[in-house]
Amino acid sequence: MDDKSNLVTVPKDLEDLIPVFMSNRKKELDALRVALAAADFEQLRQLGHRMKGVGNSYGFAQVSDFGKYVEDGARSGDRALLESTIVRYTEFLSKVQITYE
Amino acid sequence: MSEVVPEARLAAGQAIDFRVLVVDDDPDMAAYLARLLENEGLAAETVHNGDAAIVSVMSTPPDLILLDVMMPGTDGFEICERLKAETATAMIPIVLVTALEDQQSRVRGIKAGADDFITKPVHREELIARVKTLKRLHATRREMESRRLAAEVQRKDALRRTFSRYLSPRIADRIISDMDDEGTPFRRGAQRVSVVALFADLRGFTRLTESTRVDEVVGLLNEHFSVITDAAYRHDGTIFSMAGDSLLVGFNVPFPQPDAAARAWHTAQDMLRSFTPVHARWTKSGGAPTGLGIGIAAGESILGNIGSPHYMSYTIIGDAVNTASRLVQAAKPGEILVSGSVYETIRAMIPSGAAKSQGEVALRGKSGTTPVWSITV
Repeated sequence: MDDKSNLVTVPKDLEDLIPVFMSNRKKELDALRVALAAADFEQLRQLGHRMKGVGNSYGFAQVSDFGKYVEDGARSGDRALLESTIVRYTEFLSKVQITYE
Repeated sequence: MSEVVPEARLAAGQAIDFRVLVVDDDPDMAAYLARLLENEGLAAETVHNGDAAIVSVMSTPPDLILLDVMMPGTDGFEICERLKAETATAMIPIVLVTALEDQQSRVRGIKAGADDFITKPVHREELIARVKTLKRLHATRREMESRRLAAEVQRKDALRRTFSRYLSPRIADRIISDMDDEGTPFRRGAQRVSVVALFADLRGFTRLTESTRVDEVVGLLNEHFSVITDAAYRHDGTIFSMAGDSLLVGFNVPFPQPDAAARAWHTAQDMLRSFTPVHARWTKSGGAPTGLGIGIAAGESILGNIGSPHYMSYTIIGDAVNTASRLVQAAKPGEILVSGSVYETIRAMIPSGAAKSQGEVALRGKSGTTPVWSITV
Protein backbone atom coordinates (compact mmCIF):
# COMPACT_ATOMS: atom_id res chain seq x y z
CA MET A 1 0.00 0.00 0.00
CA ASP A 2 1.32 3.45 -0.79
CA ASP A 3 1.05 6.47 1.51
CA LYS A 4 -2.43 7.25 0.26
CA SER A 5 -3.53 3.93 1.61
CA ASN A 6 -2.98 5.29 5.09
CA LEU A 7 -5.66 7.94 4.55
CA VAL A 8 -9.08 7.20 5.91
CA THR A 9 -12.23 9.25 5.63
CA VAL A 10 -14.76 8.62 8.35
CA PRO A 11 -18.36 9.84 8.33
CA LYS A 12 -18.73 12.79 10.68
CA ASP A 13 -21.45 11.13 12.72
CA LEU A 14 -19.03 8.37 13.74
CA GLU A 15 -16.28 10.70 14.92
CA ASP A 16 -16.90 10.20 18.63
CA LEU A 17 -16.73 6.43 18.19
CA ILE A 18 -13.29 6.45 16.56
CA PRO A 19 -11.07 6.67 19.70
CA VAL A 20 -12.66 3.47 21.00
CA PHE A 21 -12.53 1.92 17.52
CA MET A 22 -8.78 2.64 17.23
CA SER A 23 -8.11 1.40 20.74
CA ASN A 24 -9.84 -1.86 19.87
CA ARG A 25 -7.80 -2.20 16.66
CA LYS A 26 -4.57 -2.02 18.69
CA LYS A 27 -5.86 -4.69 21.04
CA GLU A 28 -6.83 -6.68 17.97
CA LEU A 29 -3.29 -6.43 16.70
CA ASP A 30 -1.98 -7.84 19.98
CA ALA A 31 -4.53 -10.64 19.78
CA LEU A 32 -3.41 -11.44 16.21
CA ARG A 33 0.23 -11.68 17.32
CA VAL A 34 -0.63 -13.92 20.27
CA ALA A 35 -2.77 -16.19 18.10
CA LEU A 36 -0.08 -16.46 15.45
CA ALA A 37 2.57 -17.28 18.04
CA ALA A 38 0.31 -20.02 19.35
CA ALA A 39 -0.53 -21.15 15.80
CA ASP A 40 -4.18 -20.75 16.79
CA PHE A 41 -5.57 -20.61 13.28
CA GLU A 42 -9.21 -20.76 14.41
CA GLN A 43 -8.70 -17.66 16.56
CA LEU A 44 -6.92 -15.97 13.67
CA ARG A 45 -9.79 -16.84 11.35
CA GLN A 46 -12.33 -15.36 13.75
CA LEU A 47 -10.29 -12.19 14.22
CA GLY A 48 -9.88 -11.80 10.48
CA HIS A 49 -13.58 -12.35 9.97
CA ARG A 50 -14.44 -9.61 12.43
CA MET A 51 -11.92 -7.17 10.93
CA LYS A 52 -13.42 -7.81 7.52
CA GLY A 53 -16.89 -7.00 8.81
CA VAL A 54 -16.17 -3.90 10.84
CA GLY A 55 -13.50 -2.06 8.82
CA ASN A 56 -15.52 -0.93 5.83
CA SER A 57 -18.47 0.09 8.00
CA TYR A 58 -16.34 2.79 9.67
CA GLY A 59 -14.66 3.79 6.43
CA PHE A 60 -11.51 1.74 7.13
CA ALA A 61 -11.48 -0.32 3.94
CA GLN A 62 -7.87 -1.27 4.70
CA VAL A 63 -8.91 -2.99 7.93
CA SER A 64 -11.40 -5.09 5.96
CA ASP A 65 -8.71 -5.95 3.43
CA PHE A 66 -6.25 -6.96 6.15
CA GLY A 67 -9.07 -8.99 7.71
CA LYS A 68 -9.64 -10.86 4.47
CA TYR A 69 -5.92 -11.72 4.23
CA VAL A 70 -5.90 -12.91 7.85
CA GLU A 71 -9.01 -15.02 7.34
CA ASP A 72 -7.63 -16.52 4.11
CA GLY A 73 -4.22 -17.13 5.68
CA ALA A 74 -5.78 -18.79 8.72
CA ARG A 75 -7.95 -21.02 6.56
CA SER A 76 -5.02 -22.17 4.45
CA GLY A 77 -2.53 -22.22 7.32
CA ASP A 78 -0.32 -19.78 5.40
CA ARG A 79 1.96 -18.44 8.12
CA ALA A 80 3.93 -16.24 5.73
CA LEU A 81 0.77 -14.46 4.60
CA LEU A 82 -0.35 -14.03 8.18
CA GLU A 83 3.00 -12.66 9.31
CA SER A 84 3.26 -10.18 6.46
CA THR A 85 -0.34 -9.07 6.95
CA ILE A 86 0.22 -8.43 10.65
CA VAL A 87 3.36 -6.40 9.84
CA ARG A 88 1.45 -4.32 7.29
CA TYR A 89 -1.51 -3.90 9.65
CA THR A 90 0.88 -2.70 12.38
CA GLU A 91 2.37 -0.17 10.00
CA PHE A 92 -1.05 0.99 8.84
CA LEU A 93 -2.27 1.59 12.37
CA SER A 94 0.84 3.59 13.23
CA LYS A 95 0.54 5.80 10.19
CA VAL A 96 -3.19 6.08 9.59
CA GLN A 97 -4.51 9.60 9.07
CA ILE A 98 -8.17 10.13 9.70
CA THR A 99 -10.32 12.89 8.32
CA TYR A 100 -14.00 13.36 9.07
CA GLU A 101 -16.63 14.52 6.66
CA MET B 1 -8.89 -9.67 23.31
CA SER B 2 -10.89 -7.44 25.60
CA GLU B 3 -12.32 -4.56 23.61
CA VAL B 4 -13.60 -1.29 24.92
CA VAL B 5 -17.36 -1.04 24.48
CA PRO B 6 -18.45 2.25 22.96
CA GLU B 7 -21.26 4.04 24.71
CA ALA B 8 -24.62 4.16 22.99
CA ARG B 9 -25.95 7.63 22.32
CA LEU B 10 -29.56 8.08 23.31
CA ALA B 11 -31.02 11.54 23.22
CA ALA B 12 -32.38 12.59 26.61
CA GLY B 13 -36.14 12.59 26.72
CA GLN B 14 -36.33 10.99 23.30
CA ALA B 15 -39.71 9.40 22.71
CA ILE B 16 -39.14 5.70 22.15
CA ASP B 17 -41.76 4.17 19.93
CA PHE B 18 -39.47 1.64 18.26
CA ARG B 19 -36.64 -0.10 20.03
CA VAL B 20 -33.96 -2.11 18.28
CA LEU B 21 -31.72 -4.64 19.96
CA VAL B 22 -28.34 -4.94 18.26
CA VAL B 23 -26.57 -8.22 18.97
CA ASP B 24 -22.95 -8.42 17.81
CA ASP B 25 -19.90 -9.83 19.54
CA ASP B 26 -17.84 -7.04 18.00
CA PRO B 27 -18.56 -3.94 20.12
CA ASP B 28 -17.45 -1.61 17.32
CA MET B 29 -19.85 -3.20 14.87
CA ALA B 30 -22.66 -3.07 17.43
CA ALA B 31 -21.89 0.61 18.17
CA TYR B 32 -21.84 1.41 14.46
CA LEU B 33 -25.22 -0.18 13.84
CA ALA B 34 -26.67 1.47 16.94
CA ARG B 35 -25.39 4.85 15.77
CA LEU B 36 -27.05 4.52 12.37
CA LEU B 37 -30.33 3.66 14.02
CA GLU B 38 -30.08 6.49 16.54
CA ASN B 39 -29.42 8.90 13.70
CA GLU B 40 -32.87 7.93 12.45
CA GLY B 41 -34.47 8.65 15.82
CA LEU B 42 -34.72 4.99 16.81
CA ALA B 43 -33.72 3.68 20.22
CA ALA B 44 -30.95 1.09 20.08
CA GLU B 45 -29.54 -1.17 22.75
CA THR B 46 -26.44 -3.30 22.21
CA VAL B 47 -25.45 -6.67 23.66
CA HIS B 48 -22.41 -8.73 22.75
CA ASN B 49 -23.27 -12.38 23.14
CA GLY B 50 -26.12 -14.81 22.63
CA ASP B 51 -27.00 -15.35 26.27
CA ALA B 52 -27.21 -11.61 26.96
CA ALA B 53 -29.42 -11.29 23.89
CA ILE B 54 -31.87 -13.92 25.13
CA VAL B 55 -32.02 -12.30 28.59
CA SER B 56 -32.57 -8.85 27.11
CA VAL B 57 -35.31 -10.00 24.74
CA MET B 58 -37.14 -11.91 27.45
CA SER B 59 -36.99 -9.05 29.96
CA THR B 60 -37.71 -6.17 27.59
CA PRO B 61 -38.89 -7.41 24.21
CA PRO B 62 -37.61 -5.07 21.48
CA ASP B 63 -39.49 -4.16 18.31
CA LEU B 64 -36.68 -5.42 16.07
CA ILE B 65 -33.47 -7.40 16.47
CA LEU B 66 -30.33 -6.96 14.38
CA LEU B 67 -28.53 -10.22 15.00
CA ASP B 68 -24.96 -11.07 14.08
CA VAL B 69 -24.63 -14.65 12.86
CA MET B 70 -21.03 -15.57 13.65
CA MET B 71 -20.60 -15.25 17.38
CA PRO B 72 -18.66 -17.39 19.83
CA GLY B 73 -20.95 -19.57 21.97
CA THR B 74 -24.58 -19.34 20.94
CA ASP B 75 -24.56 -18.19 17.33
CA GLY B 76 -27.14 -16.04 15.57
CA PHE B 77 -28.93 -18.97 13.94
CA GLU B 78 -29.51 -20.63 17.29
CA ILE B 79 -30.71 -17.42 18.96
CA CYS B 80 -33.05 -16.83 16.04
CA GLU B 81 -34.47 -20.36 16.27
CA ARG B 82 -35.01 -20.04 20.01
CA LEU B 83 -36.75 -16.68 19.81
CA LYS B 84 -38.96 -17.75 16.92
CA ALA B 85 -39.96 -20.89 18.84
CA GLU B 86 -41.25 -18.85 21.81
CA THR B 87 -44.79 -17.52 21.50
CA ALA B 88 -43.88 -14.31 23.34
CA THR B 89 -41.00 -13.47 20.99
CA ALA B 90 -41.94 -15.19 17.74
CA MET B 91 -43.41 -12.03 16.23
CA ILE B 92 -40.34 -9.84 16.81
CA PRO B 93 -38.71 -9.28 13.41
CA ILE B 94 -35.12 -10.51 13.23
CA VAL B 95 -32.60 -9.27 10.68
CA LEU B 96 -29.53 -11.46 10.43
CA VAL B 97 -26.36 -9.45 9.96
CA THR B 98 -23.74 -11.58 8.35
CA ALA B 99 -20.59 -11.61 6.33
CA LEU B 100 -21.69 -14.99 5.09
CA GLU B 101 -22.70 -14.53 1.52
CA ASP B 102 -23.20 -18.09 0.50
CA GLN B 103 -26.66 -19.32 -0.32
CA GLN B 104 -26.45 -22.14 2.21
CA SER B 105 -26.20 -19.70 5.09
CA ARG B 106 -29.17 -17.71 3.83
CA VAL B 107 -31.20 -20.88 3.60
CA ARG B 108 -30.20 -21.76 7.15
CA GLY B 109 -31.22 -18.26 8.26
CA ILE B 110 -34.62 -18.60 6.60
CA LYS B 111 -35.10 -21.98 8.24
CA ALA B 112 -34.20 -20.41 11.58
CA GLY B 113 -37.04 -17.93 11.01
CA ALA B 114 -35.11 -14.78 10.09
CA ASP B 115 -37.23 -12.04 8.56
CA ASP B 116 -34.45 -10.37 6.57
CA PHE B 117 -30.70 -10.31 5.98
CA ILE B 118 -28.03 -7.65 5.80
CA THR B 119 -24.56 -8.44 4.60
CA LYS B 120 -21.42 -6.98 6.15
CA PRO B 121 -20.01 -4.49 5.43
CA VAL B 122 -23.29 -2.87 6.24
CA HIS B 123 -24.31 -0.03 3.94
CA ARG B 124 -26.13 2.57 5.93
CA GLU B 125 -28.75 3.34 3.28
CA GLU B 126 -29.56 -0.33 2.94
CA LEU B 127 -29.77 -0.82 6.70
CA ILE B 128 -32.04 2.17 7.21
CA ALA B 129 -34.27 1.21 4.27
CA ARG B 130 -34.70 -2.33 5.60
CA VAL B 131 -35.29 -1.19 9.17
CA LYS B 132 -37.84 1.39 8.07
CA THR B 133 -39.69 -1.21 6.03
CA LEU B 134 -39.79 -3.56 9.00
CA LYS B 135 -40.87 -0.69 11.24
CA ARG B 136 -43.79 0.03 8.92
CA LEU B 137 -44.72 -3.64 8.87
CA HIS B 138 -44.40 -3.74 12.64
CA ALA B 139 -46.72 -0.73 13.03
CA THR B 140 -49.25 -2.28 10.66
CA ARG B 141 -49.08 -5.62 12.47
CA ARG B 142 -49.48 -3.89 15.84
CA GLU B 143 -52.46 -1.90 14.58
CA MET B 144 -54.08 -5.04 13.19
CA GLU B 145 -53.42 -6.91 16.42
CA SER B 146 -54.96 -4.14 18.53
CA ARG B 147 -58.00 -4.07 16.22
CA ARG B 148 -58.29 -7.84 16.44
CA LEU B 149 -58.08 -7.71 20.24
CA ALA B 150 -60.68 -4.93 20.42
CA ALA B 151 -63.00 -6.94 18.17
CA GLU B 152 -62.41 -10.02 20.30
CA VAL B 153 -63.27 -8.11 23.48
CA GLN B 154 -66.43 -6.74 21.85
CA ARG B 155 -67.42 -10.20 20.63
CA LYS B 156 -66.92 -11.75 24.06
CA ASP B 157 -68.82 -8.91 25.75
CA ALA B 158 -71.72 -9.44 23.37
CA LEU B 159 -71.60 -13.20 24.01
CA ARG B 160 -71.44 -12.64 27.76
CA ARG B 161 -74.45 -10.31 27.63
CA THR B 162 -76.38 -12.83 25.56
CA PHE B 163 -75.44 -15.86 27.63
CA SER B 164 -76.08 -14.06 30.89
CA ARG B 165 -79.75 -13.78 30.05
CA TYR B 166 -80.00 -17.54 30.09
CA LEU B 167 -77.13 -18.77 32.24
CA SER B 168 -75.48 -17.95 35.51
CA PRO B 169 -72.78 -15.26 34.91
CA ARG B 170 -70.18 -17.70 36.20
CA ILE B 171 -71.13 -20.34 33.66
CA ALA B 172 -71.20 -17.71 30.93
CA ASP B 173 -67.68 -16.63 31.89
CA ARG B 174 -66.54 -20.24 32.00
CA ILE B 175 -67.96 -20.98 28.57
CA ILE B 176 -66.39 -17.85 27.07
CA SER B 177 -63.00 -18.49 28.62
CA ASP B 178 -63.16 -22.08 27.37
CA MET B 179 -63.84 -21.03 23.80
CA ASP B 180 -61.10 -21.60 21.30
CA ASP B 181 -60.14 -19.15 18.56
CA GLU B 182 -62.94 -20.41 16.34
CA GLY B 183 -65.52 -19.71 19.03
CA THR B 184 -66.21 -23.35 19.80
CA PRO B 185 -67.37 -23.63 23.40
CA PHE B 186 -67.11 -26.60 25.75
CA ARG B 187 -63.75 -27.83 24.63
CA ARG B 188 -63.14 -29.53 27.95
CA GLY B 189 -64.36 -33.05 28.42
CA ALA B 190 -66.74 -34.11 31.15
CA GLN B 191 -65.28 -34.25 34.66
CA ARG B 192 -66.29 -36.21 37.73
CA VAL B 193 -66.67 -33.71 40.53
CA SER B 194 -67.91 -33.51 44.08
CA VAL B 195 -71.11 -31.47 44.03
CA VAL B 196 -73.68 -30.04 46.40
CA ALA B 197 -76.93 -29.90 44.42
CA LEU B 198 -79.88 -27.75 45.46
CA PHE B 199 -83.31 -28.01 43.89
CA ALA B 200 -85.95 -25.36 44.60
CA ASP B 201 -89.49 -26.01 43.49
CA LEU B 202 -92.74 -24.07 43.68
CA ARG B 203 -95.09 -26.42 45.50
CA GLY B 204 -98.65 -26.43 44.17
CA PHE B 205 -97.60 -24.88 40.90
CA THR B 206 -99.43 -27.47 38.78
CA ARG B 207 -102.72 -26.58 40.47
CA LEU B 208 -102.00 -22.93 39.91
CA THR B 209 -101.52 -23.37 36.17
CA GLU B 210 -104.94 -24.96 35.91
CA SER B 211 -106.73 -21.95 37.44
CA THR B 212 -104.69 -19.00 36.16
CA ARG B 213 -104.38 -17.32 32.74
CA VAL B 214 -101.28 -18.30 30.81
CA ASP B 215 -99.80 -14.76 30.76
CA GLU B 216 -100.30 -14.50 34.49
CA VAL B 217 -98.59 -17.86 35.03
CA VAL B 218 -95.56 -16.64 33.09
CA GLY B 219 -95.50 -13.42 35.15
CA LEU B 220 -95.64 -15.36 38.42
CA LEU B 221 -92.93 -17.76 37.28
CA ASN B 222 -90.66 -14.93 36.19
CA GLU B 223 -91.07 -13.27 39.57
CA HIS B 224 -90.42 -16.58 41.36
CA PHE B 225 -87.29 -17.30 39.34
CA SER B 226 -86.01 -13.72 39.72
CA VAL B 227 -86.14 -14.01 43.47
CA ILE B 228 -84.56 -17.45 43.77
CA THR B 229 -81.88 -17.00 41.09
CA ASP B 230 -80.80 -13.76 42.78
CA ALA B 231 -80.50 -15.67 46.04
CA ALA B 232 -78.42 -18.36 44.31
CA TYR B 233 -76.10 -15.77 42.77
CA ARG B 234 -75.66 -14.01 46.12
CA HIS B 235 -74.04 -17.18 47.44
CA ASP B 236 -72.10 -17.94 44.26
CA GLY B 237 -74.24 -20.85 43.24
CA THR B 238 -74.23 -21.92 39.62
CA ILE B 239 -77.60 -22.36 37.98
CA PHE B 240 -77.65 -25.39 35.75
CA SER B 241 -81.27 -25.71 34.81
CA MET B 242 -84.64 -24.06 35.06
CA ALA B 243 -87.47 -26.39 34.14
CA GLY B 244 -91.14 -25.74 34.85
CA ASP B 245 -91.12 -24.16 38.29
CA SER B 246 -87.96 -25.95 39.38
CA LEU B 247 -84.43 -24.60 39.64
CA LEU B 248 -81.20 -26.64 39.90
CA VAL B 249 -78.26 -24.88 41.56
CA GLY B 250 -74.80 -26.44 41.90
CA PHE B 251 -72.06 -25.63 44.38
CA ASN B 252 -68.38 -26.54 44.12
CA VAL B 253 -68.89 -26.45 40.35
CA PRO B 254 -67.49 -25.31 38.02
CA PHE B 255 -65.10 -23.71 40.52
CA PRO B 256 -64.03 -25.29 43.83
CA GLN B 257 -65.93 -24.07 46.91
CA PRO B 258 -64.65 -25.76 50.09
CA ASP B 259 -67.73 -24.41 51.93
CA ALA B 260 -70.16 -25.66 49.28
CA ALA B 261 -72.64 -27.23 51.74
CA ALA B 262 -72.74 -24.05 53.85
CA ARG B 263 -73.34 -21.99 50.72
CA ALA B 264 -76.22 -24.26 49.73
CA TRP B 265 -77.71 -23.95 53.21
CA HIS B 266 -77.45 -20.14 53.19
CA THR B 267 -78.93 -20.08 49.68
CA ALA B 268 -81.90 -22.17 50.79
CA GLN B 269 -82.63 -19.83 53.71
CA ASP B 270 -82.16 -16.79 51.50
CA MET B 271 -84.58 -18.23 48.90
CA LEU B 272 -87.26 -18.87 51.50
CA ARG B 273 -86.76 -15.45 53.09
CA SER B 274 -86.85 -13.63 49.74
CA PHE B 275 -89.85 -15.61 48.58
CA THR B 276 -91.94 -14.76 51.68
CA PRO B 277 -93.05 -11.23 50.62
CA VAL B 278 -93.69 -12.45 47.06
CA HIS B 279 -95.84 -15.25 48.38
CA ALA B 280 -97.69 -12.84 50.67
CA ARG B 281 -98.48 -10.56 47.75
CA TRP B 282 -99.65 -13.45 45.61
CA THR B 283 -101.86 -14.65 48.45
CA LYS B 284 -103.30 -11.17 48.88
CA SER B 285 -104.19 -10.91 45.19
CA GLY B 286 -106.04 -14.21 45.45
CA GLY B 287 -105.04 -17.73 44.54
CA ALA B 288 -101.41 -18.68 45.13
CA PRO B 289 -99.15 -21.64 45.09
CA THR B 290 -98.54 -23.00 48.50
CA GLY B 291 -94.88 -22.10 48.79
CA LEU B 292 -91.33 -23.01 48.07
CA GLY B 293 -89.81 -26.44 48.79
CA ILE B 294 -86.08 -27.15 48.70
CA GLY B 295 -83.96 -30.31 48.50
CA ILE B 296 -80.18 -30.45 49.03
CA ALA B 297 -77.83 -33.41 48.55
CA ALA B 298 -74.09 -33.91 48.16
CA GLY B 299 -72.05 -36.45 46.27
CA GLU B 300 -70.17 -37.30 43.13
CA SER B 301 -71.58 -36.04 39.87
CA ILE B 302 -70.50 -35.55 36.32
CA LEU B 303 -70.05 -32.00 35.06
CA GLY B 304 -70.02 -31.58 31.34
CA ASN B 305 -71.53 -30.74 28.10
CA ILE B 306 -74.47 -33.03 27.57
CA GLY B 307 -76.64 -33.19 24.49
CA SER B 308 -76.21 -33.27 20.75
CA PRO B 309 -74.15 -31.00 18.51
CA HIS B 310 -77.38 -29.08 17.83
CA TYR B 311 -78.63 -28.74 21.37
CA MET B 312 -76.35 -28.85 24.36
CA SER B 313 -76.68 -28.30 28.02
CA TYR B 314 -73.73 -27.58 30.30
CA THR B 315 -74.98 -29.34 33.38
CA ILE B 316 -74.44 -31.77 36.22
CA ILE B 317 -75.81 -35.28 36.39
CA GLY B 318 -75.40 -38.03 38.93
CA ASP B 319 -76.37 -39.24 42.35
CA ALA B 320 -76.31 -35.87 44.16
CA VAL B 321 -78.60 -34.34 41.55
CA ASN B 322 -81.00 -37.32 41.60
CA THR B 323 -81.17 -37.32 45.39
CA ALA B 324 -81.77 -33.56 45.60
CA SER B 325 -84.50 -33.95 42.97
CA ARG B 326 -86.23 -36.68 44.99
CA LEU B 327 -85.90 -34.60 48.17
CA VAL B 328 -87.49 -31.51 46.64
CA GLN B 329 -90.39 -33.59 45.39
CA ALA B 330 -90.98 -34.74 48.97
CA ALA B 331 -90.50 -31.29 50.53
CA LYS B 332 -93.52 -29.42 51.86
CA PRO B 333 -93.93 -25.68 51.30
CA GLY B 334 -91.36 -23.81 53.40
CA GLU B 335 -89.43 -27.01 54.11
CA ILE B 336 -85.78 -27.78 53.35
CA LEU B 337 -84.98 -31.49 53.04
CA VAL B 338 -81.31 -32.35 53.17
CA SER B 339 -79.41 -35.62 52.83
CA GLY B 340 -77.48 -36.97 55.81
CA SER B 341 -74.04 -35.90 54.60
CA VAL B 342 -75.20 -32.33 54.01
CA TYR B 343 -76.83 -32.25 57.43
CA GLU B 344 -73.61 -33.39 59.13
CA THR B 345 -71.70 -30.55 57.47
CA ILE B 346 -74.17 -27.76 58.30
CA ARG B 347 -75.68 -28.97 61.58
CA ALA B 348 -73.78 -26.35 63.63
CA MET B 349 -75.41 -23.57 61.57
CA ILE B 350 -78.97 -24.76 62.01
CA PRO B 351 -80.99 -23.05 64.73
CA SER B 352 -81.77 -25.30 67.65
CA GLY B 353 -84.92 -27.34 67.12
CA ALA B 354 -85.24 -26.46 63.46
CA ALA B 355 -84.03 -29.83 62.16
CA LYS B 356 -85.85 -33.12 62.51
CA SER B 357 -84.62 -36.49 61.36
CA GLN B 358 -86.89 -38.28 58.90
CA GLY B 359 -84.90 -41.45 59.41
CA GLU B 360 -83.70 -43.62 56.55
CA VAL B 361 -85.96 -42.87 53.62
CA ALA B 362 -86.37 -44.99 50.48
CA LEU B 363 -86.36 -42.31 47.79
CA ARG B 364 -88.07 -43.08 44.52
CA GLY B 365 -85.70 -44.57 41.96
CA LYS B 366 -82.93 -45.28 44.47
CA SER B 367 -82.05 -48.80 45.50
CA GLY B 368 -81.03 -48.13 49.11
CA THR B 369 -82.24 -45.75 51.75
CA THR B 370 -81.02 -42.21 52.40
CA PRO B 371 -80.84 -40.48 55.78
CA VAL B 372 -83.00 -37.39 55.43
CA TRP B 373 -83.38 -34.35 57.65
CA SER B 374 -86.19 -31.84 57.51
CA ILE B 375 -85.39 -28.24 58.37
CA THR B 376 -87.96 -25.53 58.85
CA VAL B 377 -86.79 -22.01 59.66
